[in-house]
Amino acid sequence: MTKKKPVNARSLFFPIMMALTVLLAACSSGNGNEESSPSATTETATPTSSASASPSASETPAAEDGLYSINDFSNVKKNEGEAIKGGSITFGLVSDTPFEGTLNFNFYSGDPDSQVLSWFDEGLLTWDKSYVYTNDGAATYEVSEDGKTFTFTIRDNVNWQDGKPVTAEDWLFAHEVIGNPKYDGPRYDSNFTNIVGMAEYHDGKAKTISGIEVLSEKKLKITYIQSTPSLLTGGVWSYPLAKHIFGVMDVAKISASPEVREKPIGFGPFKVKSIVPGESVVFEKNPDYWRGEPALDEVVLKVINPTTIVQQLETGGVDLVDSFPVDQYPDNATLSNVEFLGTIDRAYTYMGFKLGKWDAEAGKVVPDAKAKMGDVNLRKAMWLAVDNDQVGKKFYHGLRWNATTLIPPSHPEYHDSTNPGVAYDPEMANKILDDAGYKMDGKFRTNPDGSELVINFISMTGGDIAQPLAQYYVQSWQAIGLNVQLEMVEFNSFYDRVGANGEDDPKVDVYQGAWSVGIDVDPSGLYGKDAIYNFPRYESAENDRLLAEGISEKAFDVKVRQDIYKQWQKLMVDEIPVFPTLYRAVLAPVNKRILNYAIGDGTNLYPYQIAVSQDKPFVKE
Amino acid sequence: MWRTVARRLVIMIPQILLLSILVFLMAKAMPGDALTGLLDPSIDPAAMDAQRVRLGLNNPWHVQYWDWITQAVQGDFGQSFRFKMPVSDLIGQRMMNTVWLSLATLILTYLIAIPLGITSGRFNDTWADRLITGYTYIGFAAPLFIFALLMLWVFGFHFGWFPTGGSVEPGTEPGTVQYVASKIYHLLLPAISMALITTVTTVQYLRSEIIDTKQKDFIITARAKGASEARVYNRHILRNSLLPIAAFFGYEITGLIGGTIFIENIFSYPGMGQLFLSSISLRDFSVVTSLVLLYGAASIIGALISDITLSIVDPRIRIK
Repeated sequence: MTKKKPVNARSLFFPIMMALTVLLAACSSGNGNEESSPSATTETATPTSSASASPSASETPAAEDGLYSINDFSNVKKNEGEAIKGGSITFGLVSDTPFEGTLNFNFYSGDPDSQVLSWFDEGLLTWDKSYVYTNDGAATYEVSEDGKTFTFTIRDNVNWQDGKPVTAEDWLFAHEVIGNPKYDGPRYDSNFTNIVGMAEYHDGKAKTISGIEVLSEKKLKITYIQSTPSLLTGGVWSYPLAKHIFGVMDVAKISASPEVREKPIGFGPFKVKSIVPGESVVFEKNPDYWRGEPALDEVVLKVINPTTIVQQLETGGVDLVDSFPVDQYPDNATLSNVEFLGTIDRAYTYMGFKLGKWDAEAGKVVPDAKAKMGDVNLRKAMWLAVDNDQVGKKFYHGLRWNATTLIPPSHPEYHDSTNPGVAYDPEMANKILDDAGYKMDGKFRTNPDGSELVINFISMTGGDIAQPLAQYYVQSWQAIGLNVQLEMVEFNSFYDRVGANGEDDPKVDVYQGAWSVGIDVDPSGLYGKDAIYNFPRYESAENDRLLAEGISEKAFDVKVRQDIYKQWQKLMVDEIPVFPTLYRAVLAPVNKRILNYAIGDGTNLYPYQIAVSQDKPFVKE
Repeated sequence: MWRTVARRLVIMIPQILLLSILVFLMAKAMPGDALTGLLDPSIDPAAMDAQRVRLGLNNPWHVQYWDWITQAVQGDFGQSFRFKMPVSDLIGQRMMNTVWLSLATLILTYLIAIPLGITSGRFNDTWADRLITGYTYIGFAAPLFIFALLMLWVFGFHFGWFPTGGSVEPGTEPGTVQYVASKIYHLLLPAISMALITTVTTVQYLRSEIIDTKQKDFIITARAKGASEARVYNRHILRNSLLPIAAFFGYEITGLIGGTIFIENIFSYPGMGQLFLSSISLRDFSVVTSLVLLYGAASIIGALISDITLSIVDPRIRIK
């Protein structure tokens, strides 16, 4: 199980125009590069200092009533014009914080760093549209009959940028460093503990990792304890660590070493030429790149502030950016010199209901039958009462839209589009509450036993619309007679109180959160009974069964797995420990001179193919 | 006087110690810690706990504080959780950028303030004076961050005269002339933006001092002796009027600290201010506490410098 992280606004907010958003880590939407690192991404509304786009006729997705739809966006850039030889592009890393500079896949923790990394390094494995490993990458793989043993073969022409070959030893070395107790990065997770002998090695009981074997210079064999379909979707650690450089260092000191921070090395299409710590990096092409010589001569990466992103795009200051605040799109949809690419984000926003507590001793959730939100009728009524379709249109111009199930459409194989979720129907909501005995007493309803019902709702601050959005939900619930009290909370307190450390605040009944989901569809890290991030503290036998089946051996059959997750999505719509509110779009503006570029997964376009049709970026007319 | 300075420096130690305790407590009172943001279902909560124990985050605050302060007095401010490098190296990397930016701002502030202040004071109640005081009122009223954004938009993006982010052109070789030129070019716009706002206090001060001094008896005496107008202004009025300005110099440093935090964020200029804000929101405590301590020390030293300069330029004042 990999990669799930809360999406939300982790941001300080200045009274005016300055959103100090901080991106910790996020899965990048690169071409098959994987991060198993998680955490808070940001989705704040970042208003720009100014942005006046004069509406004009153009080929950009048409907006009727100022509404847009993700279906009108392509994730692949239209190629206009002929590629010129060489050229230099500027990539804008949108962040108001400098990148940390831990420039090694085995050590980095922040998303900005991963953006830098993706230009000069890559994983040995790539994946397709369904996020399943392919044999098109720098290494190929074979799985044994029982699905537990993987044999990897690194291609002969895959070399480090100093000319030394990337070897199976290097790959093993990465596992040894991450498994070392002195390792200070965030990678030692269930993917590693699932390797035979890894726990013993980590505890110092074994000198080597028994489950990993170097067969030859370019061949590596890894044996996993449990075979699951998740292994094929991001379950393998595919980033080697150059042993001829780092082998002599103390593991605790690698992350701070100049070989990571100042002269980093990889085997990607570009080489690091120079770094100004925290603000810019110049890459030059790596002519010996294994896929072929890159088309561009140079890539300049610079950090740009979210407040100035539109101006940078207009003036051609940057050709590409790693992310674009969706709420700025309507004002800039007609920018003449860029094309907006779009794809569905691997994320959803949701409402969670607290149904129990976390037992830290046993490491499992303890549902409380008497929990305030324990009645499924109440939860269902609350879902029926909110019009997420309108929320998406009014607050996000259609670039976020009503969510139906807990597996977002970014996983088209598993998202059950036939499941309608629960649609807006306030009359039905009232009826359900009436039938369940929640009687009106004055302005608000009481519990069926006649006691007062006050529901405490917390939501995260950050961004212009955080507050009005939360207010909307409160009003919707008040409209069906529920006394909901809102409290806006900053990111850290929010997750503290929801229970990220296992100490749930008993005063929280309902919360609005967001998850960014991994490339693997398995949701047990968020809804399993032994998952601390199962914030609703929900448990049921049926849920346990489906989650276990989803990663069982029989689930290697995609049809079977699809059916299991279809049932699970249905179960979640019936039981409603949480309900999804919105799915979301990611947008990426690209200067029109850029060729062969795409966002999203499995597009078969790689950074070495990026080219330009003219020397200088197009500027806004 | 040196005894006084020494005594002030000694008093500084408990001041900074108290500050450090306050800062530490406040930092700890913030909800969450550096690991809170790492909500990753694939990481075993036990491993997170092990990290917390390793970082000492579970200890009571006084134990954590003692660990930190004993290290700090030895010059070791600990390790930044986020950057995975020693805090002192990290701050060292950023500090020079902030120092250059502050220095440039300071120079520009006085370059603007002195001629404007003198003109305004000498020719008070003329149109020139009204224009200048008009400007200072606008300067007082305009929040720095709005003004800076405006400057960035007009001169950075609209006219494209200045770079719009960073401290140096990517790819320039450190140590070369281009590198230095590029550095200066990059800090010019942020420095001007900040100077145009911070200078208004000094202009006003200078103006009122000059108007005030103009009416003093000794000026009348100087005039009566037949000193030329230029001599009266340059030798008598100006020298006396600059006193409070010189005294203000130290406090200016404190003001700059606040200003650079905004400016650095707006211009994506990687200095300490930017580091400070991002470290707060990421709960990178070791960096936050070290920076506050540094800022605190700078303010206290700034105040000391003010007192000393005051006693030097004005022999009537003696600090005791």
